[in-house]
Amino acid sequence: MKAEAFDVLTGENLETARRIIAKYPHKRSAALPLLFLVQSVEGHVTESGMKDVAKLLDLTPAEVLATGSFYTMLKKRPQGDYLVSVCRNISCTHLGARRVVAALEDALGVGPGETTPDGRFSLEAAECLATCDGAPSMQINYEDFYRVTPEGAVEVVERLRRGEEVKSTRGEVVKTAKEIARETATAGLAAALAKPSEKARLAGGETPPPDMAPGHRPKVTGDTERGDTDGG
Amino acid sequence: MAAEVRMVHERLRSFPDDSWTLDRALADGGYDAARTAVTSMSPDEVVELVKNAGLRGKGGAGFPTGTKWSFVPKDVFPKYVVINHDEGEPGTFKDRELAELDPHQLIEGIIIASWAVGAEKAFIYCRGEFALGSRRMDAAIAEAYANGFLGRGIFGTKFDLDVVLHRGAGAYICGEESALLDSLEGFRGQPRLKPPFPAIKGLYGRPTVINNTETISTLPHIVANGAEWFRGWGTEKSPGTKIFSVSGHVNAPGNYEVPYGITLDELLEIAGGMKDGKRLKAIIPGGASAPLLTHGDYALDFESLKEAGTMLGSGAVVYMDETTCMVRNALVTTEFFAHESCGKCTPCREGTWWAVKVLERVEHGDGRQEDLDLLLDIANGIDGRSFCPLGDAASWALRSNVKLFRDEFERHVGDGRCPYEEEHGAHKELVGARSTGMTATGLGEAGITPQPSEGIDADQRGEW
Repeated sequence: MKAEAFDVLTGENLETARRIIAKYPHKRSAALPLLFLVQSVEGHVTESGMKDVAKLLDLTPAEVLATGSFYTMLKKRPQGDYLVSVCRNISCTHLGARRVVAALEDALGVGPGETTPDGRFSLEAAECLATCDGAPSMQINYEDFYRVTPEGAVEVVERLRRGEEVKSTRGEVVKTAKEIARETATAGLAAALAKPSEKARLAGGETPPPDMAPGHRPKVTGDTERGDTDGG
Repeated sequence: MAAEVRMVHERLRSFPDDSWTLDRALADGGYDAARTAVTSMSPDEVVELVKNAGLRGKGGAGFPTGTKWSFVPKDVFPKYVVINHDEGEPGTFKDRELAELDPHQLIEGIIIASWAVGAEKAFIYCRGEFALGSRRMDAAIAEAYANGFLGRGIFGTKFDLDVVLHRGAGAYICGEESALLDSLEGFRGQPRLKPPFPAIKGLYGRPTVINNTETISTLPHIVANGAEWFRGWGTEKSPGTKIFSVSGHVNAPGNYEVPYGITLDELLEIAGGMKDGKRLKAIIPGGASAPLLTHGDYALDFESLKEAGTMLGSGAVVYMDETTCMVRNALVTTEFFAHESCGKCTPCREGTWWAVKVLERVEHGDGRQEDLDLLLDIANGIDGRSFCPLGDAASWALRSNVKLFRDEFERHVGDGRCPYEEEHGAHKELVGARSTGMTATGLGEAGITPQPSEGIDADQRGEW
């Protein structure tokens, strides 16, 4: 495949994409991490990024969209550098999550599902983040903040706005949305690279992946010609 | 008085500063049980041991783990072990802690399970939102490879095992095992028709064992100490210990490992009692899916809670005090199920959405008396009519809120307002996270008013 056929996953990212694919016995399993990789480059999942993923996985762009469109963390529209997710589920609601959301709405000037005009912050109301012991809880780019008060939540946002380093309740430094998308895309690669057989596989001496059980997935039939404008 | 028992929690509670490191794990006997299993026990002996211990799955269904393993055909290769680390049941936060604070215990359990069923590849399906846990597991797996606990010829035997860490991307339904498999194969996470069960036809159509993180983390202790020792805790039919995630209006919310069979009152005492000395009003005994209880004199084991008309589920216990608005509780819970319905089955997808609309108007004082029966009717229309238990769970939670607290619902309608509004402020519905995701499954997700005759409007359809 010609290198120039890719728009988004080029250069080092293409290399990373191939490593991600090599983690799995069947390459379609790499769909979610590759979409995260697109998000790490583009800030959200773009159409050209999905086309790249389709080419890498021998799928149609429609198949990639069908998968990607199912998942909350893959973003359809441009997102802020910092995604502020306040849990709105049972324990958090009973312990004051709505007041936290209201304070953040005031501070950011946008509501849940929206991004500030300067592109710095997106606010969302999230489903149970599995930090009910820290209710009401919040994540910023998936780092956890426990027992947040309305004032405390706003203060964290203000510090990020001033460009300060912010650490989560668990002591993890809050990364940008693109950085965390990249980390999510490459999760498991450190482990995969530590594995001797994987080194051999990446060097080209791989054993062929096991077949999928016969009839497990009906074959996609019909015209799979890609309607993109690469000119082939 | 009932007290905590530290088995699965032992290392992470005793060494909170470095429980997740390989050094700590090794100093604390880590990987000894895996070595014992792989070097001195046959796979069948491990399966028998786990059967004799009576270990039951800790993700929600409570299915006996050894029995599940024994369904896997011996002569079909390749086969897989998949760890369900997609913890998302509202109220549950035990698996997150186990992966963040003791990933080596999990990996040791994976080695034991894979040896028992003859799998040479295991996948950890880690919830997308778990950044820290993923980081810690990734590092721990790499350390395990570097020290020969994973890879080729583990413990000097001919047993090879690879562990692949895979991240989800935000979908509660992927905690349902067949939806998880579809997601892991790179598809939308929607449940499969069963049978065939994953043990026969799972990942890539191959025999697959899917176990919860807590279940797998328990294995090293059973191998190290034996079935009889394990049965020294809990009840005859629910042996051993269970980590309960306690939250809500309690003084010391957190994960507590206790023997099965202690009561909800005893667990509340361990968690420091009710906050601000308030009275207990309702308990969710097993995650958002479990019907409510109104007092704590029930034993926490699978059989007792089933008899009480509810379930132990994932072990998420939420205690709610007297100031809790139960209409609001029903609304928040049902919003969750509506949001997380995968869209495959009409009763669940549309039913949860309609229930939310009706609950909203009751909460805001615009309800009608007949709305209460309408809610029960919607619940009946969902229950038992979908592929997977998500819809059922939504209906159980809704029904129990309406039935147990019908007077409170009636008061909302009669007074034309929420009686708790002064205390908590007016309830505000929040646009769910999926609206910021790539697209919606249900009509309601994008704020579209359902108009069955017209469907989704052209603007929305044309967005891509």
